Amino acid sequence: MRKILVFSLFSLSFMAFGQKPEDLIEKINAKLAAVKDYTVKAHIDANIPMIQIMPSKAKIYFKQKDKFKIESKGITILPKQGFTELNTFLSEKSKYTAVFGDSLRIRDIDTRLINIIPNSSSGEIILAKIWVDQKNSVIIRSQVTTQSNGTVKTDFKYGAQLSYGLPSELKFEIDVKKFKMPKSVAADINKTSTDKKKTKSKPKSKGIITITLSDYAVNTGLSDSFFKDKKKSE
Amino acid sequence: MLLKNTYNEFIKIVSKPRSYLGLGALTILIGIIIFAMKADGESMVSFVTASFEQTLSFNGKLVNGNLIAFIILQMLVVHIPLLIALVTGDLISGEAAMGTIRMLASKPISRTQIVLSKFIAGAIYTLVITLWLGFLSLFVSHLVFGSGDLMVLNSDGLVILPEADILWRFGLAFCVAYLSLLTVATLSICLSAFAENSIGPIVSTMAIIIVFTIIGSLDVSVFDSIKPYLFTTHMASWRSFFEQPVPFDEIMNSIIILLTHIVLLVGITLIKFNKKDITS
Repeated sequence: MRKILVFSLFSLSFMAFGQKPEDLIEKINAKLAAVKDYTVKAHIDANIPMIQIMPSKAKIYFKQKDKFKIESKGITILPKQGFTELNTFLSEKSKYTAVFGDSLRIRDIDTRLINIIPNSSSGEIILAKIWVDQKNSVIIRSQVTTQSNGTVKTDFKYGAQLSYGLPSELKFEIDVKKFKMPKSVAADINKTSTDKKKTKSKPKSKGIITITLSDYAVNTGLSDSFFKDKKKSE
Repeated sequence: MLLKNTYNEFIKIVSKPRSYLGLGALTILIGIIIFAMKADGESMVSFVTASFEQTLSFNGKLVNGNLIAFIILQMLVVHIPLLIALVTGDLISGEAAMGTIRMLASKPISRTQIVLSKFIAGAIYTLVITLWLGFLSLFVSHLVFGSGDLMVLNSDGLVILPEADILWRFGLAFCVAYLSLLTVATLSICLSAFAENSIGPIVSTMAIIIVFTIIGSLDVSVFDSIKPYLFTTHMASWRSFFEQPVPFDEIMNSIIILLTHIVLLVGITLIKFNKKDITS
């Protein structure tokens, strides 16, 4: 009986701690690989310093491995990175080394941090951190630092498409320190120098873009030609 | 009698070839802007969004009729005063130069009514120019580029206004732009009352606008106390309708200052013309 108990405890601890980060990423990749393509309605709410925009609606199309298209009636703003880059990077196992970090409870979900360090210094991604829900094999939070876009932190929420690993809400926190207004274009003769000084005293450096995703249509067989039109959608 | 004389004054404006210069110049200028934007509008917009596009991607139709109308309005409101002054600066001094002012003053109408009828005729001409500007910039650019959300750049950043929320802004912006141009027309008519030839008031009007605009655009605090009272500072207040939220208090302040200028200039003209010794 004692032997059985010791064996059980040993087995449990092996299951909990013996898992490599690569295995966990493999599970995430396998889940996402089941999605050949999808179409989803998006409600985009952007709260970005220096940009005033009302919430907008759009339709997002995706096809493996990195085909992405957005259609909207009006102007929509999305983060430059965040939809496909991380998953594409994770799927190329030879390009990075994964290391487990601390555990963290995010929105009542137990997550495990995986630090992803690229093997090459010439790539776009400098460092990626993902907080993974081990139970459902989905990413709950990511923080990706790139050469050109700074750091983008993303929070993922899941709903009906949890089995596919497709989120129902994405909340991007982007770095906006680099935003500079072209002065010759933005000349505002109405404002006095005092007004301009007042305007300048708003050192906000983070922008939030929340995308609520609904009505997923998964694996409908979107053709490659659908994504070929590189003109911006109207 | 005032209305009849106003009608006569307007007929005089219509019969002068220079009155069509403004309409013709506007048509050509707007045609050039629309052609240029059709050919290379995307790169002009990307110049504005370049800083943001390192981190963000803008999707949708950025170059559309609303943006073109806004660009046209922004470009031309600076230059239209010259086209207005070309006609209105001649209204009183032109009569003096041609020697018809004495005949006009001998008609059974008071000098005040003569001046007011000239102001009203000038205001109607200014309205025609503004409406033509509105028609070309809004209607033609929508015809060529279609509609869409409007992306406006000001010193605080980018403002993106939904398509459904734009038309009323343009309507009110044109009203305030008209008031600005009316101030210019009133100024040139006022200067016209002091001159005996047409060139003087036209050149003086433009000189005043240029000097005031330079003072207004100089980012030097010593001018901050006078800037709010210069009419040129408020000539761009139509742009405020494209801010979110719309600063109605600031716009109302601009309207009051422009109206005050108009009333003062009309008053000065009335005093001057009523005291004028008409000898020619």
